Amino acid sequence: RSSRKAFKLTHSYVEMHEFMLQIKPKPGLSSAKAAQVLARDGPNALTPPKATPEIVKFLKQMIGGFSILLWIGAVFSWISFGIQLAQGAESPFDNLYLGVVLALVVILTGIFAYYQEAKSTNIMASFSKMIPQQALVIRDGEKKELPADQLVVGDIVEIKGGDRIPADIRLIFAQGCKVDNSSLTGESEPQSRSCDFTHENPLETKNIAFYSTTCVEGTATGIVINTGDRTIIGRIASLTSGVGNEKTPIAIEIEHFVYLVAGVAISIGVLFFIISVSMRYKILDSIIFLIGIIVANVPEGLLATVTVSLSLTAKRMAKKNCLVKNLEAVETLGSTSVICSDKTGTLTQNRMTVAHLWFDNQIYSADTSEDQTTQPFDQSSPSWTALSKIVTLCNRAEFRPGQENLPIMKRVVVGDASETALLKFAEVILGDVMNIRAQNKKVAEIPFNSTNKFQLSIHKTDDPNDERFLLVMKGAPERILERCSTIMINGKEEPLDSEKAEAFQTAYMELGGMGERVLGFCHLYLPENEFPDTYSFDTDSMNFPTSNLCFVGLLSMIDPPRSTVPDAVSKCRSAGIKVIMVTGDHPITAKAIAKSVGIISATSETVEDIAKRLNIPVEQVNWREATAAVVNGMELKDMSSQQLDEILCNHSEIVFARTSPQQKLIIVEGCQRQGAVVAVTGDGVNDSPALKKADIGIAMGIAGSDAAKNAADMVLLDDNFASIVTGVEEGRLIFDNLKKTIAYTLTKNIAELCPFLIYIIASIPLPIGTITILFIDLGTDIIPSVALAYEKAESDIMNRRPRNKRKDRLVNEQLAIYSYLQIGIMQSVGAFVTYFTVYAEQGFLPSTLLGVRVNWENNAINDFEDSYGQEWTKYQRTYLQWTGYTAFFVSITIQQVADLIIRKTRRNSIFQQGNKVIWVGIFSQIGIALILTYGLGHVTALNFTPLRFQYWFVAVPFAILIWVYDEVRKLFIRRYPGSK
Amino acid sequence: MARDKEKRSCGQVWAEWKAFVWDPRTRQLLGRTASSWGLILLFYLVFYGFLAGLFALTMWVMLQSVDPHVPKYQDRLLTPGMMIRPYAEGLDVTFNVSQRHTWMPYVHALHQFLEPYNDSLQAARNAACTPGRYHEQPDDGVPNVPKRACRFNRSSLGPCAGLGPPHSETYGYGTGQPCVLVKINRVINYFPGANKSINVVCAAKDEEDAALLGPLHLFPPNGSIDLMYFPYYGKRVHVNYTQPVVAVQFANATAGVQHHVECRLRALGMRGEGAEPQRDRFAGRVEFRLRLHRE
Repeated sequence: RSSRKAFKLTHSYVEMHEFMLQIKPKPGLSSAKAAQVLARDGPNALTPPKATPEIVKFLKQMIGGFSILLWIGAVFSWISFGIQLAQGAESPFDNLYLGVVLALVVILTGIFAYYQEAKSTNIMASFSKMIPQQALVIRDGEKKELPADQLVVGDIVEIKGGDRIPADIRLIFAQGCKVDNSSLTGESEPQSRSCDFTHENPLETKNIAFYSTTCVEGTATGIVINTGDRTIIGRIASLTSGVGNEKTPIAIEIEHFVYLVAGVAISIGVLFFIISVSMRYKILDSIIFLIGIIVANVPEGLLATVTVSLSLTAKRMAKKNCLVKNLEAVETLGSTSVICSDKTGTLTQNRMTVAHLWFDNQIYSADTSEDQTTQPFDQSSPSWTALSKIVTLCNRAEFRPGQENLPIMKRVVVGDASETALLKFAEVILGDVMNIRAQNKKVAEIPFNSTNKFQLSIHKTDDPNDERFLLVMKGAPERILERCSTIMINGKEEPLDSEKAEAFQTAYMELGGMGERVLGFCHLYLPENEFPDTYSFDTDSMNFPTSNLCFVGLLSMIDPPRSTVPDAVSKCRSAGIKVIMVTGDHPITAKAIAKSVGIISATSETVEDIAKRLNIPVEQVNWREATAAVVNGMELKDMSSQQLDEILCNHSEIVFARTSPQQKLIIVEGCQRQGAVVAVTGDGVNDSPALKKADIGIAMGIAGSDAAKNAADMVLLDDNFASIVTGVEEGRLIFDNLKKTIAYTLTKNIAELCPFLIYIIASIPLPIGTITILFIDLGTDIIPSVALAYEKAESDIMNRRPRNKRKDRLVNEQLAIYSYLQIGIMQSVGAFVTYFTVYAEQGFLPSTLLGVRVNWENNAINDFEDSYGQEWTKYQRTYLQWTGYTAFFVSITIQQVADLIIRKTRRNSIFQQGNKVIWVGIFSQIGIALILTYGLGHVTALNFTPLRFQYWFVAVPFAILIWVYDEVRKLFIRRYPGSK
Repeated sequence: MARDKEKRSCGQVWAEWKAFVWDPRTRQLLGRTASSWGLILLFYLVFYGFLAGLFALTMWVMLQSVDPHVPKYQDRLLTPGMMIRPYAEGLDVTFNVSQRHTWMPYVHALHQFLEPYNDSLQAARNAACTPGRYHEQPDDGVPNVPKRACRFNRSSLGPCAGLGPPHSETYGYGTGQPCVLVKINRVINYFPGANKSINVVCAAKDEEDAALLGPLHLFPPNGSIDLMYFPYYGKRVHVNYTQPVVAVQFANATAGVQHHVECRLRALGMRGEGAEPQRDRFAGRVEFRLRLHRE
């Protein structure tokens, strides 16, 4: 059995029996006693998996990514402040402030990232608390409704159909009680429960119901024997926490990106440190240059932007019913290449529905969509009238009262799955079934049981002229046929000869072959003379005929696929994602559903299909010819991992049937061995190891257990497979958009870096200050880079293969080179033209500026001569330098607008694709720049000065050049796709 | 990923690296063939060549729009700065009277600075202007006509003129009565004093220090600067412009004490009250430290 591990843990359960005897059911525990036990055992809730302490999470944000580089910058600033202070230099505090600003930047972005992470965790927390579970408890001799977490060992609880079992309980009273243990053991059929002790093993014995399973029908009363972590589920949950979490693909990508940028920053920094030292700059000055180069190279705002973009997408996905627990999972979904999906509830609607009918020697198809209101098949035949009567009358299922306004398909029914399906089917076609039943009063009934394999009832008819009783029967088709001597064809009874029996067999096989559950229906009008109005039917002695009946027809039922699924599967197919069905169901049913949703396409064959077509034994078929495979769980058990790999490799369409949740883990691992990024759906507790092992675990929001939701990265609120595909689309989109964001952000790094390099080499006054750079990185550029996250897909997003983890990087060579060496250089040129213009118009022609650095920065020189013979004090020069910073800043901003426009799309022309949020980005960028220059231009510490308006336009030609250059590039890409 | 790394041995990694750097089979250097590298090189050559040309072009256009004689804006020069001579690092005039080498650099600097002020040179090059009013020289239709400069005779600096015998001349440094020259920064088209006479005043920055600093003598008398030296027309047209200076002689400064001295320009309409001149310690004033020893 699957849960063998759990067995070992539970031998102590047996000891409980003695304890049970001490408890008197009637009054239950006293409140005082319960409080005492509660204090001893703690609340009846699973301890959430051990979370990383908040402070550790916070500190991780403080040192992760670029933070280390910035800390180094800050420490260098403070060191040089210390040295300058000791030397008694004029303005040592500049470096102190710079260090403080850098530290602040790290701390603030750290706090921001921490806050974002905490917020997304909270979404999850609030989700699990949405429905506080209640339990009906007997305490102090009274029935009380209590929150389930208040339960203690020894409490008496009452349970009815539909409830979740609030703790592990031993039943002391049960009536028709069935529980769904699928989340625990993987058994999909409900298990009946009684008070009898039937097995030593607690998982097998019928008198124990387990925490977090559901009671499907019936009622029961039981004594709580274990609560919280001591329940079976609690023990399994603690086992699964052993499976480690892998790093998400986007985390790997970002790490790669950080290494790349940090590598560039450090190597350029060290290179220029050496250059400046060998150019006889003072070590202290060289260190300050180093800080500037690091700050210019590090995109301080980028990681925050990425977080915001991911959380925006997470929000958008939540609206489409994908609740993301871990922000990074947003993108993981996009790089998914294999989806291992459950069948029931995910691919299917999770309710039996009548799919086919057979009467008058003909198969009719019924509508199986989610919201059927009519049935289109031919209902004119009198045979159908007879059949519909049997369907309506020979049925014990009933609607719960008070649902008249609900659509039929949404109404709650008391009864088993097949009867429910028949009831709803009849209600849709005939209307008020309950009324029909009332008019055809039931006089006797034999319910279905497994020995008879039929259900029978006898009714008065609603025809006042017809005094005969009507006997209706349904059941296993072969059993029903045995009891018939005639068959109804077009309303007339005809003898059931071998030809007609053959036709029945063919139809039965065909329907069965579609994986459907088939029921046969027959009836008999009891002769009036033998069975008068007053006849007393006795179901025990069966004083009425049960053979020589008239066979009317077959109905077959299936849990039909959700109507959105086939479309979603074909989308997956075109997106290069392999969909593997993993189900506990019978292979035939599994294959039928797989065929109907397109997981096995119409043209592909399994080994068995080929064998059947060629009429040869299965063993002789070359299994390489089969594109599809249906693998039975029993076969899987005996397979080596190489054999599994072969199957996964060689078949593009795979269905695993009759699998246990444990085997899911094996399948996931097999897919991961192929290098796939695997998404796995799951709902049961036993799915949690597979959910954890998968690159992205998807738990079902409705059917899923808490353990599954805990282990998953994502929760599917509507349990619908199609939502996963929407999620994939969003995930791919965000990856593309993050690429754009990064390209946008990296470009201006060059325009921020060049000033330092040229300052060191040509000794011109510093064109842009470190603090000004921070204002670009954390001010003007933030909103535009977030705006890029709103960019729509460039048409082909779901038509390309999933990205290759090794090759399709977030930041690749081409992106870096195009940003750094082409657009970035253009931006630098534009910004330098502005810089030189500002200086020239104030009196310093470019030729005068070269090599002036030492005198320019000397505090004692207050009569520095410009190109016109005028003399400048230090402060006047510094102020001019700030004006230069502002001009450089403004130029970068203006050119970043062009950069934003070109980064919007990677292939399409700007004229082909709009995005209104980009306008917000552009306006915010310019708005923030205006506020900084004119609003804060008088705050000297920020190094901004009110800039003459015309300088805003100096870089405009360069901005236009950038745009035109990129449009031409895109034109070439569109004209000559595929070339490098 | 981690699994792969374990699988590869060091030798394999090295071999892969070597193959990446130079693959003899495909004749690829760093993953590209020579022709591919050549094309890339050519592209960047053309690309950067184009950008350099564009940069040069825009700079040229910009410089065409700049007047070489008068700067377009003088936003920062509304209040001219002031400066002292001799120039001392950190504006800290420190010397020991009895140690010649400590003050000789100052003497040399002053000699050099005052060289163009020699009366003979002034008489030869510059005009004798009307004192007491601005010496305006309008262009009269001809743009950028060369302007004449007004004479500032070195001799007007009295004992600080340094006209003694070349070998014994010390501008007072040798006797403990040092001279410091104060000058106003050149600013094109600057008219100080609103037609009223202007002068430089110097004093100890702290009142307690005034007694220790002793009497100050200003040359020309009163530290006055004649309006005829204004306006300045820029170095292109105002070739021999001689900047007016005021000499301060510290007749009896106490030795061994650091004196903070501040000299200000007293003129009507000086913008000395705004926020910016407050921050600029050299706008319309100059601060320096004087410290002499007599050991």
